Amino acid sequence: MDRKALFRERFGRIVALLGYKFSPDEELVNDLLDAEVELERRYGAPYCPCQGRTGVRSEDMRIVCPCIPYHRAHYDAMKRCWCGLYVHQDVDDPDALTQIPLSELDL
Amino acid sequence: MADIKVYALSYCPWCKKTRRFFDERHIAVEVVEYDLADKPEQDRIVAEIKALSGGDVTFPCTIIDGTAVLGHHPDRYIALLGLPE
Repeated sequence: MDRKALFRERFGRIVALLGYKFSPDEELVNDLLDAEVELERRYGAPYCPCQGRTGVRSEDMRIVCPCIPYHRAHYDAMKRCWCGLYVHQDVDDPDALTQIPLSELDL
Repeated sequence: MADIKVYALSYCPWCKKTRRFFDERHIAVEVVEYDLADKPEQDRIVAEIKALSGGDVTFPCTIIDGTAVLGHHPDRYIALLGLPE
């Protein structure tokens, strides 16, 4: 099984336990998983393709996919994770969801 | 002409969507790819984005005439630039 198939299978099981699923936007999922395979190849872990690694281990571990547990309240408020790879299980239209920074949420 | 800077990651799909938004409208922007920058520049970008985001180093981050937009938000770009819908 290649890394992308393994990510899809393993991460799918993990996020299901958190009440999430892969986005219905298959093109986006495909692009994000491709990016994560490349990031793992380059930097040793499947980092979120839309968040920056700082080199500080405690910060970088918070963006290793699936990073939902580290950002639970934030992502639950958006009903999606930051890069949009995962959405809440009741979401049918991912285009209706947007990226909202923590600073704009009253959590 | 508006002063527009986009902080991006070269492999981020949302950053690509943001860049495409401006390219399609032939709007000049300065794109800074965080993952390709040197360490001092990365540290500066991290500090700037953390201050805006509430602590996370999230991309894209678009700054239009000093107003920051975190995430991909075409509606906000249109409003800030006074573009037709």
